Amino acid sequence: MNRRIAIRNMALILGSAAVLPSCLGDKNNSKPIVELKHLQLNGDEQQLVANLAETILPKTDTPGAKDLNLHLFAFKMIDDCMNKQQQDDFKAGLKAFADAADAKYKKSFNDCTVAERTAFVNEAEKDIKDKAKDDAKMLTFYQTVKQQTVFGYTTSQYFMTKQVVYELVPGRYNAMYPAAKKEAV
Amino acid sequence: MANLNIDSIKDRTFDAIVIGSGMSGGWAAKELAEKGLKTLILERGRDVKHLKDYPTTNLYPWEFPHHGVVPSAVQEANPIVNRCYAFGEDAMHFFVKDAEHPYVQDKPFDWIRGYQTGGKSLLWARQTQRWSNFDFEGPARDGFAVDWPIRYNDIAPWYSHVEKFAGISGNKDGLAELPDGEFLPAFPLNAVENYFSKHVKDKYKGRHVISARCAHLSKPNQIHLDQGRGQCQERTLCQRGCPFGGYFSANSSTIPWALKTGNCTLRPFSVVHSIIYDEKKGKAVGVKVIDTNTKEAIEYFADVIFLNAAALNSNLVLLNSTSGRFPNGLGNDSGTLGKYVAFHNYSAHISAEYDGYKEWATDGRNPAGGGYIPRFRNVYKQETDFLRGYAAGFGAYRNNTRNSEGIGADLKHNLAKKELGGWSVGSHMMGETIPKESSYVMLDKDKKDQWGVPLLKISVDYDDNDAKMKKDYIEQMTEMFTSAGFTNIQAHTDTRAPGLDIHEMGGVRMGNDPKTSMLDKWSRLHACKNVYVTDGASMTSTSCQNPSLTYMAFAARAVDHWVNEKKKLNA
Repeated sequence: MNRRIAIRNMALILGSAAVLPSCLGDKNNSKPIVELKHLQLNGDEQQLVANLAETILPKTDTPGAKDLNLHLFAFKMIDDCMNKQQQDDFKAGLKAFADAADAKYKKSFNDCTVAERTAFVNEAEKDIKDKAKDDAKMLTFYQTVKQQTVFGYTTSQYFMTKQVVYELVPGRYNAMYPAAKKEAV
Repeated sequence: MANLNIDSIKDRTFDAIVIGSGMSGGWAAKELAEKGLKTLILERGRDVKHLKDYPTTNLYPWEFPHHGVVPSAVQEANPIVNRCYAFGEDAMHFFVKDAEHPYVQDKPFDWIRGYQTGGKSLLWARQTQRWSNFDFEGPARDGFAVDWPIRYNDIAPWYSHVEKFAGISGNKDGLAELPDGEFLPAFPLNAVENYFSKHVKDKYKGRHVISARCAHLSKPNQIHLDQGRGQCQERTLCQRGCPFGGYFSANSSTIPWALKTGNCTLRPFSVVHSIIYDEKKGKAVGVKVIDTNTKEAIEYFADVIFLNAAALNSNLVLLNSTSGRFPNGLGNDSGTLGKYVAFHNYSAHISAEYDGYKEWATDGRNPAGGGYIPRFRNVYKQETDFLRGYAAGFGAYRNNTRNSEGIGADLKHNLAKKELGGWSVGSHMMGETIPKESSYVMLDKDKKDQWGVPLLKISVDYDDNDAKMKKDYIEQMTEMFTSAGFTNIQAHTDTRAPGLDIHEMGGVRMGNDPKTSMLDKWSRLHACKNVYVTDGASMTSTSCQNPSLTYMAFAARAVDHWVNEKKKLNA
């Protein structure tokens, strides 16, 4: 993605929220990435969400969450589109998530390797499938981040122009269209 | 000084004043201006110019700050309008916010409003069906409300008149209960809609599933191109305002057409306080307006007033227009003003699946939304334990399955898969409700808005007839779905308040008898012959068809009547 577009996208996502100078990759960074209006998250917490988003949708041969600023989108959505109760649950769940990672790896999720993060998140996925109840808060948090990351991804310019193309102006309605052709698009 | 005053009055005098620039006001203005009358259109909200004032119309989903989701602060501040299906991040600037224009809910009522040039015609669902004689004869046959003073033949030519200009897509289906009109090509039914249509036709006498008729230019004629409108591009983003003018709105069609004549002046930010009645002349002489920005009161004068403020606000204007002659509201000799308000019952829908026609899908988007099932209950004779009946929407959909399982490369792969799911089908009810004296609006005795206009108090409710009809809709549709082999049939009912249908009607009803109605067969006040009401307020009963097309036809017909009356007087 060229820089001009990247900056424009970031501006669109953030709107009035200010991006704070920081480096996403810095492990010892406790500076917040972005200043939010309602949701109070410190730098480490924000990094955790960003790292989690990247674990859910990592950079492969196609762009990942951080490339597409999906973590910033998730912050914006949780800050603007969730009510106080949901935000409180989010914070509590984030803490539970961080604590569980600490307990398991004896270091923070942010300090974990990509492999460790992936293993940890896969376990959360499994718990959700098995409907595990003991860490409901943590799983709700995880699902919220996943939901927003996936929503941001599937409604991103990248996805809607390069993966499943969205047409603003279809210019047609074919009521009888072969399914095989549709799936081949 | 005296001269200045005379000049000022002259500047404020027109041949006609139209109150409201929406669905029906736009039509009144167009017809008046075309016939050469100097016309003032009063709009209480801001001006919204076609194309220029559609800020979101060409935005992609990712260009919205929240990709289309309404922020929670907005939702929490607007519990009423947030319940409207079209209130999204892309169109919320066209809706009245709850706190901006309060009203009093004696009973729960979701009053959905659009205060701007074009009103709600920018936002409507664009479904356009003619009413039939079964509708206009309904009250007389079934013994409710009062007899309509007109029949289908009185309004039919005016349906044709407005359809040709607005552009209505549809098939000539040849159904007495849903008369054919002047149609542009219909948007066709898809494989499963078509299957259901055939099945219903074979199995159920008198029941039909047809292509929904809608105000979209499927194939524009010269008259539409002359308006600067073009072919519908199947965006189905209509609520944002259409950059092609592909659907009918006052903004894209009637208002610019009226202004182009040079006979018309549009004054936005002008809330009407009342219509001025001159006791000596025995008629209305003008309108008292409050400028919503400066709060200055200004009087405008004209020979005739067309009241098209939208159903409940037209009631409000008449209720607030009191004089020695009319202490209870203009033209209200009968005492029926504000009463017999009714609406459409949308509180049930059904969903199901169909395991067939897997070889077919659709491509592009259908602006008509799919199929329409005209009323089949109690049409030719009373056959159930409830009065009247319901129409229903019917649609079949087949989309990509969006699988968000897993993480990482797997998840990316799942999200990008173009794998079609099975067919889903759905239907929603649109029930006629019975106008009752107990369903009314009135002025609140104490509370006023910031322009000194009393707040409207709304007291409208469902009744037993609605409950029985809803039960019947669910039973009949469930049976028809079962018979068609649909599976996983699920009936859903909700407890939505009246109003969310955005089809509120009545309060200033038409009728033959001045003792029991407000308007005569020409849509003018029995007791004040130079005031016409041709929006939802004038409806004697509600039918179950979408009403906008009928308001348009009444507006054009009323203007024609006024101009003919004037000619007779001058001859």
